[in-house]
Amino acid sequence: MAGSDAAFGRLVQRHQSAVRAFLRRVLGGGWAEADDVAQDAFLTAWTSLRSLHNPEAVRPWLCGIAWRKAQDRMRTRRRAAARDALWLETVETPAGLHPRDRAGLAAAMADLSPEARACVALCLAEGWSHAEAAAALGLPSGTVKSHVSRGRARLLRALGGSDDA
Amino acid sequence: MTPDQKLAALFAADRPPTRDYVFEVEVARRVAKRRAWLTALALVPWSVIAALMLWALHAALAPVAGGLADAAVPLAMMLTLSGSGVAAALWLSRRFSAA
Repeated sequence: MAGSDAAFGRLVQRHQSAVRAFLRRVLGGGWAEADDVAQDAFLTAWTSLRSLHNPEAVRPWLCGIAWRKAQDRMRTRRRAAARDALWLETVETPAGLHPRDRAGLAAAMADLSPEARACVALCLAEGWSHAEAAAALGLPSGTVKSHVSRGRARLLRALGGSDDA
Repeated sequence: MTPDQKLAALFAADRPPTRDYVFEVEVARRVAKRRAWLTALALVPWSVIAALMLWALHAALAPVAGGLADAAVPLAMMLTLSGSGVAAALWLSRRFSAA
């Protein structure tokens, strides 16, 4: 049992950053909620480890679990826009950027549909291939591609790019 | 800074660190809690079976063991329960360990 726990601990260590980053972008708002959903996703992964048939595909498998958890959370919650705006003010903005860029990106992400947000979070932010994201999210590859393309254009527009960006 | 660069910088700023002990410990704590619940739940049928067996044994042995000292019956029950508990715990510790 100790060996299995150590192996699962290594799995958490290796993939926690990607899963949490994905959830932060999909859920928006405060990071505490995304981290709570991520912990829940890892707990579900622990109970269903036997359903992981291909250890090479552990990353899409984990993000697939996280995606279903995020969908459940989005269905049940009502986020307050004022609370999110307040939280955004507390987050440090990267050098060379204005806080309104961060707020603009957050607003543009929030305007995307949940599926488009998930596609953007995986393909644009994490550099996943369309096929990999399609496997994790349970969407057709063509749908992922169009979500990424349209999502990117909207995000760039929010950051001061032209319509054809 | 171009919009593309801004987007990349903002996405990078959202990314958690590659190593986060607090998060890992919290996941381990939740896993331990879930394991404890599963173990406790799995003990319920064993307890019912053990109680039924004791009841049946008591009914069958009551006429034969009438001459035994009164202290022998609770002692036998305690030994049976302890043995069942240890056997179930050993089995469950293997059953619910992560694959």
